[in-house]
Amino acid sequence: MRSKAKTVIIGGGIIGLSIAYNLAKMGEEDIVVLEKSYLGSGSTFRCGSGIRQQFGDDANIQMMKRSVEIWKNMENELGYNVEFEQGGYLFLLYDEEELKTFERNVKLQNKYGVPSRIITPEEAKEIVPLLNTDGVIAAAFNHTDGKANPFKAVFAYANAAKKLGVDIYEYTEAKDIKVEDGKIKKVITDKGEIETGRVINAANAWAPLINKMAGVPVDIPIHPYKHQGIKTEPFKIGEINPMIVSFKHDGVYMTQEANQGGIIGGYALKYGPTYDITPTYEFLRGVSYRFSQIIPALKYLNVIRIWAGYYAETPDDNAAIGRINEVDEFYIAAGFSGHGFMLAPAVSEAIAELIVDGKTSKPLWFYDPYRFERGELREQAVQMG
Amino acid sequence: MRLQEHPIIDFTKRRGRKVTIYFEGKPIEAYEGEPIAEALHAAGIRVLSYTPKLNRPRGLFCAIGKCSSCLMVVNGIPNVRTCITLVEDGMRIERQRGLQPLPKNVKSPRWKDAEKKYGDIIVIGGGPAGLAAAIKAAENGAKVMLIDENPILGGQLVKQTHKFFGKREQFAGVRGIKIAEILAKEAKDKGVEIHLETSAIGIFQEGDQKMVAAVKKNTHLMEFYGKAVIVATGAMEKMIPFKNNDLPGVYGAGAIQTLMNTYGIEPGKRVLIVGAGNVGVILAYQLLQANVEVVAIVEAMPRIGGYFVHAAKIRRLGVPIYTRHTILRAEGKEKVERAVIAQIDEKWKPIPGTEKTFDVDIIALAVGLRPSVELLHQAGCQLVYVRELSGYVTRHDKRMETTVRGIFVAGDSSGIEEATTAMLEGKIAGLSAALLVGKAKPAVLEEIKKYQDDLNEFRSGPFGQHILKGIEKVMIHD
Ligand SMILES: Cc1cc2nc3c(=O)[nH]c(=O)nc-3n(C[C@H](O)[C@H](O)[C@H](O)COP(=O)(O)OP(=O)(O)OC[C@H]3O[C@@H](n4cnc5c(N)ncnc54)[C@H](O)[C@@H]3O)c2cc1C
Ligand SMILES: Cc1cc2nc3c(=O)[nH]c(=O)nc-3n(C[C@H](O)[C@H](O)[C@H](O)COP(=O)(O)OP(=O)(O)OC[C@H]3O[C@@H](n4cnc5c(N)ncnc54)[C@H](O)[C@@H]3O)c2cc1C
Ligand code: FES
Repeated sequence: MRSKAKTVIIGGGIIGLSIAYNLAKMGEEDIVVLEKSYLGSGSTFRCGSGIRQQFGDDANIQMMKRSVEIWKNMENELGYNVEFEQGGYLFLLYDEEELKTFERNVKLQNKYGVPSRIITPEEAKEIVPLLNTDGVIAAAFNHTDGKANPFKAVFAYANAAKKLGVDIYEYTEAKDIKVEDGKIKKVITDKGEIETGRVINAANAWAPLINKMAGVPVDIPIHPYKHQGIKTEPFKIGEINPMIVSFKHDGVYMTQEANQGGIIGGYALKYGPTYDITPTYEFLRGVSYRFSQIIPALKYLNVIRIWAGYYAETPDDNAAIGRINEVDEFYIAAGFSGHGFMLAPAVSEAIAELIVDGKTSKPLWFYDPYRFERGELREQAVQMG
Repeated sequence: MRLQEHPIIDFTKRRGRKVTIYFEGKPIEAYEGEPIAEALHAAGIRVLSYTPKLNRPRGLFCAIGKCSSCLMVVNGIPNVRTCITLVEDGMRIERQRGLQPLPKNVKSPRWKDAEKKYGDIIVIGGGPAGLAAAIKAAENGAKVMLIDENPILGGQLVKQTHKFFGKREQFAGVRGIKIAEILAKEAKDKGVEIHLETSAIGIFQEGDQKMVAAVKKNTHLMEFYGKAVIVATGAMEKMIPFKNNDLPGVYGAGAIQTLMNTYGIEPGKRVLIVGAGNVGVILAYQLLQANVEVVAIVEAMPRIGGYFVHAAKIRRLGVPIYTRHTILRAEGKEKVERAVIAQIDEKWKPIPGTEKTFDVDIIALAVGLRPSVELLHQAGCQLVYVRELSGYVTRHDKRMETTVRGIFVAGDSSGIEEATTAMLEGKIAGLSAALLVGKAKPAVLEEIKKYQDDLNEFRSGPFGQHILKGIEKVMIHD
């Protein structure tokens, strides 16, 4: 392992890896990524693969608009097919109040050029003929939303970063960070020490522990909650293209994988704060019930996999992204709740701009890590779970 | 074709009521109690599905629900494991062509609570290990529930028409099928609650209880609650690489036994067997018993691994055994028509010019088994790869308890051995579980000790040394 680096990124999930790639792309050298287990092992490999621009606030919509542009071009840029498919996101709406909220959101999304729209239950059924539209009064649909393969996305970013000279160390855990007079001196790992002047905390569910190592004096409340997902056996591809969401059914979401044909999805049941990730029967049964209410034919499918992972939650479900003033050259990008996978391309670009250029045109202010301490919570991010 | 005559089993008595099933619209005669794939085989149908990407034909392979090679569309529902789903009168069966659409216009299911069963100990698997465990636990006063996904109790035993080796008290000299009957009867007599055609799908911790979720007859969910779980799920057949090894007619040895010894169906006309270990050699003998021609056995090792008496018998009956040979490829359109073998050198490379071609309709793979550890893995038990035990196995202690408190393991699922050791491990697991749930008296510790000694004695031979080396790698010492 090297003993010196200009930048040490802690966390080998989609956020840490995409930051490493974007920094290197902007000409930064001497970058190291530390991952205590294998790449993607935190939340990224356990996510539901969904990518959407249908948020309810200006910042997330803008960030996601940029992200989707990058996702669309990712195969070109990183030289690897990450199976990004624009099957759309279809929110099923069951009452006037829900409809009103979504009408407002659609208007805001349209303002930024996201082509979402409110459609009738009949139109929804045309998009997904297997859908049970009983009780559905309308739906919000955006055909440029979609999904990508988290496994492939991680490897695409990791390989592209390596090609640009980034060193990635798996099974290497950051144990401590030495700071003197407000300046970072080194990162101590279980495999040795690395002298460095810059640390990026991309440890998501474990981010508070990294903050503590560096003595970050700001309170950034990020807590790990256990959320789960399932995958079914495959059936004819193309029958359920969009990610279907129903808040009426406790935030259930599901889509058919573009390449393999199984359904993946979950719902809002959560446990915690906890670092336990044992899957539960309560979830298995709860998710089967909700899936089969929305797509009745799913009752014939076998579940072939169930797993759990973390939503690293903040009080407003928005991440903490930015520079920490009290520790020179310490950055954080963590606490992504249920939408860190989709946001990674734009977030990493913004962080790299902030570090290299000293500023970014993207609305990173929205994710200000100091907002909690100031009591300035954002509007709750739209999310399932 | 069905077997009309068999020296050991009278199938005409065993078969159930005649029913009619429809294969791609064509009526086919079948018997109640028979799985779909087996009935189709009897009617000469080998191709059950086509693969999604390369559109390759696929047929039966394991016949015990463990490989997904037999998925078909049954009454409009895709992905049905037809090798363990029983025929019903009027059933509509279609070949599965790639990924199938889901049925249209389906109503949302009526959702009610799963059927719940309560007891002390849940045993998963009704082979010799599971049955022995259930009997011992019930004998000591525990309420035992045993579930098995096959329609018949006995596991691998129900296919063994030969007389077993081993110690007298371990049923030496008794035919496998008979041992299965004896154990099944004893379990019932001792009050073990038995659920057949019930697949365990997961082991969960619910409060201070263990809960095994299971699906009965592919349709309804059941929940079994208890304080301990014994996993005795046996093993599944291994596959080896050769060209066209997925051609219908390349069958696992166990599948061939299931066809002929359990359901009285002629597996084929001419068979090439790959592997001259115990299973391969016994299979050859059983095929001859059922009047099926065995053209040869090929074995990559320089020596025959199977019991000498069996091998000698096979040779006397005129079946050549080619040691230091391997199978190069299967040939045929949509199903096996020929097999090509060749001699191999010290580096296991085929020697050019030594190829031999046999006209066969079945290639039987008897190349070993691997433990079925999926449920143990799901339940969080620590797994390790141990070559001597033929695959991934869970760590366990001398009383067969795994790294998860209250979950025990026994039989082939703890490492591939034999029925004798499976039963001994089952007894130990059954008694230990009964102790854990507070039913058995501490005096059973002595009985446990006795079975542990029996196991040691049994494993003291040269083959056992190998196993002992493997067990040492998984054993948790106090
Ligand atoms: C069930 C489920 C469904 C989800 N669905 C979606 C979805 O559809 N769309 C979406 O956008 N998001 C979804 N998410 C959220 C998404 O998974 C996360 O927001 C995203 O993966 C966060 O990426 P990350 O790189 O920040 O975190 P992680 O992938 O968790 O990466 C952090 C890494 O840091 C490592 N680490 C921690 N401490 C140390 C240390 N001391 N030293 C070295 N390494 C360390 C960890 O091992 C980990 O690999 C879902 C999450 C779950 C659980
Ligand atoms: C050809 C042949 C000849 C043999 N000859 C001999 C011999 O002469 N002497 C000897 O001692 N041994 C012999 N054996 C070996 C012996 O048959 C096996 O070692 C023994 O049957 C293993 O017992 P078991 O109970 O562990 O597993 P099995 O007998 O395989 O039983 C496992 C059971 O678990 C059930 N099951 C699996 N998964 C699930 C699930 N998820 N839910 C519900 N049920 C499940 C299966 O349906 C099955 O009934 C022979 C084996 C073969 C194949
Ligand atoms: S699962 Fe049916 S043949 Fe293997």
